[in-house]
Amino acid sequence: MTDIRIFAARRVVTMNPSNPSATHVAVRDGRVLGAGTLDEVRGWGPSELDDTFRDHVLVPGMIDVHSHVFEGLSGSFPYHGRFGRHAADGRFMPGVATLDELLADLRRVDAEMTAAADDPHAPPEPLVSLGFDPVHLPGVRLDRHHLDTVSTTRPIFVFHASMHVATVNSAMLARHGIDRHTVATGVVRDADGEPTGELHELPAIALVASALAPIMRAASADSTILDFGRLALRAGLTSVGELGGQLLQRPAAVDTWSRLVNDPSFPVRVTIHNLGVPPGGDGDHDAAAAALVALRDRHSTDKLRFPGVKFVIDGSIQGWTAMMNWPGYYTGTDHGQLLTVPEQFVDWVRPYHRASIPVHVHCNGTATIDLWLDTVEQLVREDPWLDHRHTIQHSQLTTEAQLRRAKNLGMCVNIFANHLWYWGDVHYEQTVGPERANRLEPCGTAERLGVPYSLHSDASVTPLGPLHLMWCAVNRLTPSGRVLGEHEKITPYQALWAVTQGSAYQLHLDHLMGSIECGKYADFTVLDDDPLGVDPMALRDIGVWGTVLGGVARPVDRTDG
Amino acid sequence: MSSAPIPVTVIGGYLGAGKTTLVNRLLAGATGERIAVLVNDFGSVSIDASLIASSDGDTIRLANGCVCCSLAGGFVEAMTRVAEFDPRPDRLVVEASGVADPAAVAQYAHLPGFGLDAVVVLADAETVRRRADDALVGAHVRRQLAGADLVVLNKADLVDPATLERVCDWARTQADGVPIVAAVEAVVPLALLLGTAPRSATREAPRAEAHVDHATVTITGRTAVMRRALDDALAALPDGVVRVKGFVELTDPDGTRVLVQRVGARMRIVPFDRDPDSPPVQLVVIGLSGPAVAAAGRTLADALGATLAEPGIERHHQEHP
Repeated sequence: MTDIRIFAARRVVTMNPSNPSATHVAVRDGRVLGAGTLDEVRGWGPSELDDTFRDHVLVPGMIDVHSHVFEGLSGSFPYHGRFGRHAADGRFMPGVATLDELLADLRRVDAEMTAAADDPHAPPEPLVSLGFDPVHLPGVRLDRHHLDTVSTTRPIFVFHASMHVATVNSAMLARHGIDRHTVATGVVRDADGEPTGELHELPAIALVASALAPIMRAASADSTILDFGRLALRAGLTSVGELGGQLLQRPAAVDTWSRLVNDPSFPVRVTIHNLGVPPGGDGDHDAAAAALVALRDRHSTDKLRFPGVKFVIDGSIQGWTAMMNWPGYYTGTDHGQLLTVPEQFVDWVRPYHRASIPVHVHCNGTATIDLWLDTVEQLVREDPWLDHRHTIQHSQLTTEAQLRRAKNLGMCVNIFANHLWYWGDVHYEQTVGPERANRLEPCGTAERLGVPYSLHSDASVTPLGPLHLMWCAVNRLTPSGRVLGEHEKITPYQALWAVTQGSAYQLHLDHLMGSIECGKYADFTVLDDDPLGVDPMALRDIGVWGTVLGGVARPVDRTDG
Repeated sequence: MSSAPIPVTVIGGYLGAGKTTLVNRLLAGATGERIAVLVNDFGSVSIDASLIASSDGDTIRLANGCVCCSLAGGFVEAMTRVAEFDPRPDRLVVEASGVADPAAVAQYAHLPGFGLDAVVVLADAETVRRRADDALVGAHVRRQLAGADLVVLNKADLVDPATLERVCDWARTQADGVPIVAAVEAVVPLALLLGTAPRSATREAPRAEAHVDHATVTITGRTAVMRRALDDALAALPDGVVRVKGFVELTDPDGTRVLVQRVGARMRIVPFDRDPDSPPVQLVVIGLSGPAVAAAGRTLADALGATLAEPGIERHHQEHP
């Protein structure tokens, strides 16, 4: 038994600029010995040739730095987003394009729940649906009357994709005693003063506790982390990030993550950036930074890492809550919401910078991007750190001037490329208007300026899927057929770089990941076709065989066909 | 929920407006009420160690019965905890963050077991106008004022009287129809702030008190009133009235007893069980100056067929020591 395995493939796309293409990779101890021809790699010593992938293409293991473990919940509840997606078990959930499709699927779920109920006389369990996005159904306002046509006895809760709004039926209102006398402002009323079934913002949504309880229960279950891993594998990822971890608040969850992710059966590496919210609400960011250093030093493994800290400082563009510089939004009302006091922000972030913890900041609007750039400028003046790689997360509307500053300050940007497809038309027609929508997700500018960038899904906001991210960044197509920003397109090679080398660099892990290269992890994404060879429009349709993680093949369970 | 809802007062205002000073004062000051306070930044709460009865990760209990809790786990979690406190707090004060919209935060006051009292917004008299024009935070500062039921122009001693008047006038344009109180070091009489009548004048914060003049009158009536008459009478009250609170028996439907709370322009009239032997109309009017409150009290009493209770006007106004 030899300990060197040589993988033969139709092609190995290495993303190593000095050795771009190969047919074989030699692997030992979970790492790459070398990529080249068979003759070139067999010189490492006695080896076993594995030709499982002779018809497949190997690319470096793809990395999504910015997603959320909540993605692992997506198969646990009926899904009613606009665009179809897969559950962790491979089931395809088709999505709904019309109100009738939504109601029909809710009826189907209601009937299934009725058939599965243990005790037909017990009060019916609530039906909780996720993903519904009214922005794709202009002219339709879902209310309790629609949902009452599904059931007048089973409480129904349709959580909108934004998670800021829910629509419930009359049975749900009745279960929680919500009626015309309820004073909460977030309970929307009709002209007669009766609740319409629409609940706005958490204070009102929290009134229907029986709907939130199953979501909260599922979110803290082991199965959610396990399904997060399965979905990452299915998407072809070898490293997936929870960019909003709450381990500072829930230190006990460190053991859960460690136990599950470090188990050899878990199919993907995980990085967790925890929210920079000091536990106990004492505002002590020095202590929080020290806690993150301790977490990194004590609990990091090859499978599970804690590379940085995360802050969220504004809302979303499609919610009109991102903070925009002049002239603001194109149509609609500006609800721009800062989530930090600007004068305090540098004080919050400074302790992490001083502790050499990279800081990732959610900035969707141009005004908050300025705030983050100003903050980094001050940080590096006070405490020089040349290789901090502090990152603008989402970075959707970053201007050329802002990207130039990011470059000069040594920052990375992580671009939310999926928005081009999922909300591109909404941005063009409603939120920011044509010119700015055409520079949405400015990969082309980042490329021209040499700003290190990567692409992310923000799952569960959009599904995990690096090939879909590449497809968006390369084609910039919207559902209406519009090409959004011809001049911000990048090439398939550049897009592949972004989801491999670009992500690895942002994580300070580019010495271990991002290319198929001597010394790095033997992490490969195994594809049915060559992403640099296919028609760029076919990028998102390339089949994912699975991955190789640390030299071990991880096929996607294809029982779904 | 068998007992009456816990009244919730939300304290908002931009960074530096004096929210924390106010919260510290509420916690340390002996008010006779068990106040629970939710704060964003536990670290900024400074309580004399001698007053602290116990303290764990996210809750500080004071010897005077007050409790301070962290909001780190979110509003729903914190309020669920407060609702379970034994003994039950008489009142909840929530400190909103410097960029939060306190009127939005106030929505949490409608969770089961709670009821909204008022949104009080503090503003730094010296800097608020500049902040309100700031490109980044201006909209937040203006939104805070627009959502207020009571505006406290704090740090009034840092500007000259003419400037204070101009800032007051400007604040009136931002917070339409809302009482505006000038204050120093966030000292505001509890009668105005929370609607609690002080047990005695000397229990109030001693020193800077003189900067805020306020007065109360009590109205008592022996006959029930029509809902419409009550609504109209409350809506017609002149500027200078900060709060009206008390109980009224209605004729429609006959015998319904309601709790009345008016803070600024916010009116809350909710059914409320109380001692059937108490007078059908019993209201307290709290305002900024004696004559104005007396006049408002007389108007309200006339409209409801009630009388001003003797001795007429109780003024709570201290001189500088």
